[in-house]
Amino acid sequence: MGRVRCGVLVLLLLPAFAMGQQTSSAPGAAAPADIDALLHRLARPAPATTAFVEVHFSPVLSRPLIVSGELQYDGPDSLARTVTKPYSEHTEIHGDQVSVVRGSGTPRTFSLARAPDLKTLLSSFSALLGGNRQQLEQSFTLMLNGDDAHWSINLTPRDSRVAQRVARITVNGAAGLARCMTTAAPDGSVTIMLMEDAAQTLVAPDTDRAALEKVCH
Amino acid sequence: MPLNASRRGSARLTALLWLALLAGAGLIIQHSLRISGDLRLFMPTPHDAVGRLLLEEVSEGPAAKLLLVSIQGAPPEALAATSQNLSAALRADPAFGFVSNGEQRLDMVPDALLPYRYLLSTTLDTNHLDADYLHAQLQEREQDLASPAATLLTPLLPRDPTLELLKVLEAWEPAHQAQQLFDVWFNPAGNAALLIAQTRTAGFDPNGQKRAIEALRRHFNEVRGSPSMQLTIAGTGAFAVTMQARSEADARLAAMLDSAGMVLLMLLAYGSLRRVLLGALPLATAGICGLGAAAALFDSVHGITIAFGFTLTGVALDYPIYLFSNEQPGVQPVAVARAVWPTLATAVVAVCVAYLAFLVSGVRGLAQLATFNIVGLAAAGLCTRYLVPRLLPVGARDHGEGRLAVLLSKVSTRLPRLPWLAPVIALIGLIAVIGIPGPWWDNDLGHLTPVPESMVREYETLQQALGAPDVRYLLALQAPTPDALLVREESLATQLDALTMQHAIGGFDQAARYLPSAGVQQRRQAALPDAKTLADNLDRAAKGMAFKPGLFAPFLADVARARSLPPLSVDTVAGTPLALTVGALLQHRDGGWTGLVTLTDVREPDKLAAVAAASGGTIHLLDLKQAAEDLVAHQRQRIVASVAAAAVLLLLVVAVSCRSLRRMLRVVTPMLLSTLVTLAVLHGAGVALNLFHLIALVLAAGLGLDYGLFLERASHEPAAHRRALHAVTICATAACVVFAVLGSSTLPVLRSIGITVVLGVLSNFLLAQLLIRRDPA
Repeated sequence: MGRVRCGVLVLLLLPAFAMGQQTSSAPGAAAPADIDALLHRLARPAPATTAFVEVHFSPVLSRPLIVSGELQYDGPDSLARTVTKPYSEHTEIHGDQVSVVRGSGTPRTFSLARAPDLKTLLSSFSALLGGNRQQLEQSFTLMLNGDDAHWSINLTPRDSRVAQRVARITVNGAAGLARCMTTAAPDGSVTIMLMEDAAQTLVAPDTDRAALEKVCH
Repeated sequence: MPLNASRRGSARLTALLWLALLAGAGLIIQHSLRISGDLRLFMPTPHDAVGRLLLEEVSEGPAAKLLLVSIQGAPPEALAATSQNLSAALRADPAFGFVSNGEQRLDMVPDALLPYRYLLSTTLDTNHLDADYLHAQLQEREQDLASPAATLLTPLLPRDPTLELLKVLEAWEPAHQAQQLFDVWFNPAGNAALLIAQTRTAGFDPNGQKRAIEALRRHFNEVRGSPSMQLTIAGTGAFAVTMQARSEADARLAAMLDSAGMVLLMLLAYGSLRRVLLGALPLATAGICGLGAAAALFDSVHGITIAFGFTLTGVALDYPIYLFSNEQPGVQPVAVARAVWPTLATAVVAVCVAYLAFLVSGVRGLAQLATFNIVGLAAAGLCTRYLVPRLLPVGARDHGEGRLAVLLSKVSTRLPRLPWLAPVIALIGLIAVIGIPGPWWDNDLGHLTPVPESMVREYETLQQALGAPDVRYLLALQAPTPDALLVREESLATQLDALTMQHAIGGFDQAARYLPSAGVQQRRQAALPDAKTLADNLDRAAKGMAFKPGLFAPFLADVARARSLPPLSVDTVAGTPLALTVGALLQHRDGGWTGLVTLTDVREPDKLAAVAAASGGTIHLLDLKQAAEDLVAHQRQRIVASVAAAAVLLLLVVAVSCRSLRRMLRVVTPMLLSTLVTLAVLHGAGVALNLFHLIALVLAAGLGLDYGLFLERASHEPAAHRRALHAVTICATAACVVFAVLGSSTLPVLRSIGITVVLGVLSNFLLAQLLIRRDPA
């Protein structure tokens, strides 16, 4: 299971950092005139930490799974995701190795780059963190919508192998602050991650996508 | 004038007939020559089942078919990608069976076998599919779905909520794995991606291995990530191919140097280009006719037969030289040929009769060699008698009156007469042969195709890194049915697990690891709950969880199917990827079934031997190295016996031809003494003898017989003696040139043949001069 599991990890870990943490340095109400300016404002250096709430919708589930915890970014190849509720799970990426500990079990270690497509994603998100649009556009088609008060960026994978796992990533935010990241998979499952102040939202156990989208905007 | 015209006509007719003969032989070669690299052709027929098993394992065992591949010269990530692509290409290539680079592949188990996962997995040995167990599993799955791996899990979930398939695949992974980077095997230094490919052809089939290795390299060139990447291939087959290529290259170079040397020598000796060309005619005839006969009479001819056959027919070079040296001014060459024929015929017949002994040696390779030489040398003799003289112009010179012959003759007459020489040489030779301590025979099969030290080290490093099976030790089990065999393997596994814990072995692999016995499968089957119980258990387990109702219907259906399936067997896995793995370890032979247990890192073979000894004859510990040595020793006994029989036959033919025991002794004494001297020199130098030395000794003896016959027949007349001296000197020089070139080869095989023949020829030449004196006029 270990090796199968590591696949999409990077996908879901990295954007959180790229989007979530402009709290103190956000310079007020400048309109996102273009993607360059927005990326520039979203970029930030390591180390950084943010709380998160993830809501997982899946075709195999009758109601969403909700987990919360903390993300930590320590540089381009060092990331950690800790789930604290409703169970504890700790996932770390160091270089090429991923390790997962669930509860008090033994850690399982496996390699990150099980396929070149994931490697592409990793470097793309590093580019996002660094505000490097050129590198980002090698892997994704970028589209900016909305205005400064309610913007969203759509990322659509260019590589067909990446597209088999991720149909689309949407990041929503206001001003220099990202609030939500929505990852849609081709099999119909959708994960919505609430970050920063949005992570403080109380999410009802039977929430639906419409309710969450309201929180994001 | 009419005489001349009829001579030309008969020459033309003979030449045409000859061409037709060669063309016929060529056609046979083209149509029916199948070259085999199967070493078993050169081994004695085994006398029992274990012997047969050993012989098959030596050449066809799973370990001998493995190629260990390493890819270097790029960052690990790129190497891993190339490793994955190369594995995919190899799996699609029918030349390869099992291919592994450490990747876990779900497609190992095809859809039809999926319901069997509960019978293959050990889960049910300790758990039941009750509400508690299922609840714990479903909880895990919920957490998996909330993890980043959710998209990979979703398609598996409805059918396999306990992830049984992944447990089965994990259990099938090699016990000792190389370290993994980017999900594929790497060496400990992390700079080379490793993979294992099993060829379909036997390890000792150099032609099949060559094709497989070429295919591997072709696939690598197609998929490699960057031109800086390098491929290293090690393994029994890779060694065989490398050594064959090197021998061929060396032999080609030797052939070129030899041809140049021969042309020069014949030009110097006879001063005629036509004689140079005609001198090569009997030799070519011998090669073509010999090979044609072997191709016509045997299904497949071993590569070694062909190589040795051409080497041994080198004797045929003596025949035209003897003819040319006996030419006299104004005498028709046909008359010369008629005059030398009795001597020449004796030489040919004696060697051919001697080879008859090889025909009945029981070693198929030797029988082929005998056929090759008998037909080849007979054809060469006839060619020298009937064709060559008809194409020769009337001689202009008496080589017996040339400077060389006169000088040699002077030296020869001045040599002291030493009646005690032969007994003394015989005595010293015998003392040296018997008295000098040292190994007599080299039994190491590996020395027949010696592999350079660096390649062996490379192989060992790779083998260690990959945890590839030991190529020396192997356990074999026998049982009347495959299922009985699997039961035996299961009980053996307990013992081997204990040995692994004690670090006596590093690990083991056997068919039962992939395919449990019917009994074990039925036990697990009985532990599966019925449809209603399972549905109830699942309902209780999933209570309060987020899974959609009815989601696990495919799981319920699979378990219901698994309850009524006939146990998976050798027959039912046929055609699935599992068949490759199981088939290599479980074989049908001799009306029974043989299971092979491969071992890794064998540190204490004694303990394995103890397990085998306690089994009451159902388990054998195969020591392939020992077995191979025994085979070589056994084979050599046959060859030595054949050579002895050949010597007796040869003496008989010479005695009949000479019609006098004294003359027969004069002819053969130098030859017998030379064989003894050569043996003594080799033994004194610490050389352990192998098959190649024996072949070389036979060749040298054949040449020595020619010298003895040529000189003895001419010993009554000074002019004839001078011509014979000329002939023998040219013959010996030619043989020395040819085999000195071989003796300078870097390959031990060619070197041992070359050195032995040169030693034998020199000794034969000198002793013939000293012992076969011209009768005082």
